[in-house]
Amino acid sequence: MLREILIIVIKKFIHQFASPKTYFYQVNRIYPWLLYISLAIYLTAIVWGLFFTPKDFVQGNSYRIIYFHVPASFIAQSLYAAMAISSLVYLVWKVKLAAYLSRSIAPVGATITFIALVSGSIWGIPTWGTWWEWDARITSTLILFIMYLGLISLHNSFNNFDKADKLFAYLSIIGFVQIPIIKKSVDWWSSLHQPASITLTEKPAIDAVMLYPLFMAIIGFSGLIACLVILSSKVQIYKREKTKNWIKNYV
Amino acid sequence: MKVKQSLKHELIKLLKKTRAWLGPILVFILIMVAYPLTVELTNQSLADAFFPVLFISCLMVMMLATEGIFLEDYEDGSLEHLLITGGSIYQSVFIKILVHWCFIGVPVSIFGALFNIGVGNTVNSSILLLPSLLVSTYIFLILFCFGNSLSLTKGSVLGTLITMPLLLPMLVILGKLTTAIMFNINYFGFLILLFGILSIIMFIFPAIISKIIKTHLE
Repeated sequence: MLREILIIVIKKFIHQFASPKTYFYQVNRIYPWLLYISLAIYLTAIVWGLFFTPKDFVQGNSYRIIYFHVPASFIAQSLYAAMAISSLVYLVWKVKLAAYLSRSIAPVGATITFIALVSGSIWGIPTWGTWWEWDARITSTLILFIMYLGLISLHNSFNNFDKADKLFAYLSIIGFVQIPIIKKSVDWWSSLHQPASITLTEKPAIDAVMLYPLFMAIIGFSGLIACLVILSSKVQIYKREKTKNWIKNYV
Repeated sequence: MKVKQSLKHELIKLLKKTRAWLGPILVFILIMVAYPLTVELTNQSLADAFFPVLFISCLMVMMLATEGIFLEDYEDGSLEHLLITGGSIYQSVFIKILVHWCFIGVPVSIFGALFNIGVGNTVNSSILLLPSLLVSTYIFLILFCFGNSLSLTKGSVLGTLITMPLLLPMLVILGKLTTAIMFNINYFGFLILLFGILSIIMFIFPAIISKIIKTHLE
């Protein structure tokens, strides 16, 4: 009995949250909180990382771009995973909101991947002495960037939104094979890029003094990107649901 | 439709258009002929840079071969007819890719192995090269078919744009295979890896392509 009630409540909650209208209002409520808290965390991490951590033994001061580069490249891959998962949700359960979300993640993901590439090449000049190398990690991140652009251009070339959403979902799920390749590229191929310093299973290879601000930077940066995704998804909802009554009332 | 009937159907459709199957092969031969003209140095440098050129031109030729591969069927309504009469689009797509590979992929691979002797590599390396070329042309064909089915009515430029990123890991493996052939180490490992990739995508991708085509027909 209790179980059935619970299932009904959960189903109702999911269905309610999956309607663009509820999503819109709920998101509006949490947006300022998310923005200010994550901005505060990120700024703290940046100040801590830039002014209160010691110099690196080998790289000197130039390693401090880690507080920007690592969150960006981490999120560039995570956003793709998020996009693929929401595409899967769209294809399996036909939740429209998931399609809006996956479409709205694509431009944000492309921007972040570009930022990761640029910050990486800026870091490469003092450390490796070159700003670009045809190396496994760098090339596969460039491929990820092109993948994002391809997805966006595929979606834009169809006027019929339903069809475009479905094709987008198929391509983003197939393109997910790239993510493990990017993730593992530094381990599988001999590469100039160092292997990951922080992994779930092992002790981090980076000193605790630098690690804590890095964690904070990753959390804060993720919050900021979540804000961007929310804004982008609101644009998508405006675009798709412009004929609905509630949007007219809201505007 | 039965498999035999479907096979006959696709064969007739491909052979009727000489341009569709002979064109890519001729383009491949033209690229291979053009390559020595661009190298003015010794014969040795011709042989050294041959493998990358070969793989890239295979890729491009497969792109040409799949250009508008589903477009004609889509426009004359035979795909829709197949769907309405309860025929299997999966089977049709699988056989279409197989037929295209037999008439374009196999000759291109054989010519590639022959040109490899032509630029001064050993016969032994050609023998090692041939099976890997056969497998990789099939993989290229399948993936370009996937891209072309996504951009069915929007031209093959979009299809290529969205397929190329998926193909680049394949090119990395082929690059590794080149070193394996040259120094004759660990060659069979890479060949088995290619076979593994082929055996997975050979059966999964026609299913995805048929789903995508059904989306287009809605």
